[in-house]
Amino acid sequence: MAIHEPGRRLMHLVPLKFVQKRVGGGGHRSVSAPLNLTSMIDFLVVMVVFLLMTFSASGEIPLDKNVKLPKAENTVDMVDAPMIAVNGSQVLVDGTAAGSTRAIEEAGRLQRIDELFNILKSKRELWKATQGGSNKSFPGVCILQVDQMVPALVVKSVFQTAAFAGYPNVSFMVGQIPKTERH
Amino acid sequence: MAGVNVESGGKGGRRAVDSEINMIPMIDLLVCCISFLLITAVWSHMSRMNADAQVPGPPNPEKELNPQPPDKMLHVEMRAEDKFTLIWKQGPTVVNSIDVPRHGVDIVEGAVTTTRYPDLATKITEEWKANGSHRDASDKKLDQAVLHTDNKTLFKEIISVIDAIYAPKRDFGAASKQIPAFNVTFSVN
Repeated sequence: MAIHEPGRRLMHLVPLKFVQKRVGGGGHRSVSAPLNLTSMIDFLVVMVVFLLMTFSASGEIPLDKNVKLPKAENTVDMVDAPMIAVNGSQVLVDGTAAGSTRAIEEAGRLQRIDELFNILKSKRELWKATQGGSNKSFPGVCILQVDQMVPALVVKSVFQTAAFAGYPNVSFMVGQIPKTERH
Repeated sequence: MAGVNVESGGKGGRRAVDSEINMIPMIDLLVCCISFLLITAVWSHMSRMNADAQVPGPPNPEKELNPQPPDKMLHVEMRAEDKFTLIWKQGPTVVNSIDVPRHGVDIVEGAVTTTRYPDLATKITEEWKANGSHRDASDKKLDQAVLHTDNKTLFKEIISVIDAIYAPKRDFGAASKQIPAFNVTFSVN
């Protein structure tokens, strides 16, 4: 075979080896791979929007652990108001004991619960003392958390006591049944 | 690297000016927002049902006393075990009385059974459409329903009947918000 004089070599004056390899075709595969994060960002944005829409600033409503609430369909949203819980034998106002239901059940007739009346009356007077200066009228709203097995006599007694203590706008706390379509 | 390539120019022989927007801080922010919202999320939802007590208040000397005819009220009698009785009364006068058979429909959700009365709800809706006094959206007053119960009736039964009484809805106000047509109160006797 004839011997030829070698021709020009590309980049032979450049001292950096990695440049020589790159330009000369070093042969190594790149280890880095581009990752498309657009779809992940879209997912995160949708999650944030959904959670913001379902966010409730009022937070968890305190539920007495001994009270099992009935459920209903035609309900309205909860409001912030004094909570009167009635379980099997006790009446509680915002967690404070406010009487017993046994006396009512034994008497067998509608009667006023004195401790409940006094607590609600003092709450009303406190409201008037703190907010009576403004032109707002006392809302008189309270919420009853009543166990589903409590008899009507106890419910009516608590209801009447609250009304006479200055809380005539009584609401019953219930669980929500999904609304059915009516045609 | 996670980023967005934003190309500008680069044609006509000029050097391309690329800039990558770093998306890592934005992803961190979104993950923090999601974590916070998941931790503070309130998934259980409680509702309420109104039941106003009609307590007579002190007379208002500023209001002129004009004798008004009493409004018609719907009395719902649930003491019978086999039926409900719907009685329209205007003051002491009975205007109309209808019996509705007591057919409860049980809805079982795990260990909880809820009884509903769809027939009663349908009948009360028909009665309100025929005899209700306050139906206009601009009328601020509601029709009154008085519930008569036995002292031993369980609270869940009372709620089931009140749920049926709240079935008929009417428009209220300029925004045409839908509200229950009746306002329920309890009878003392």
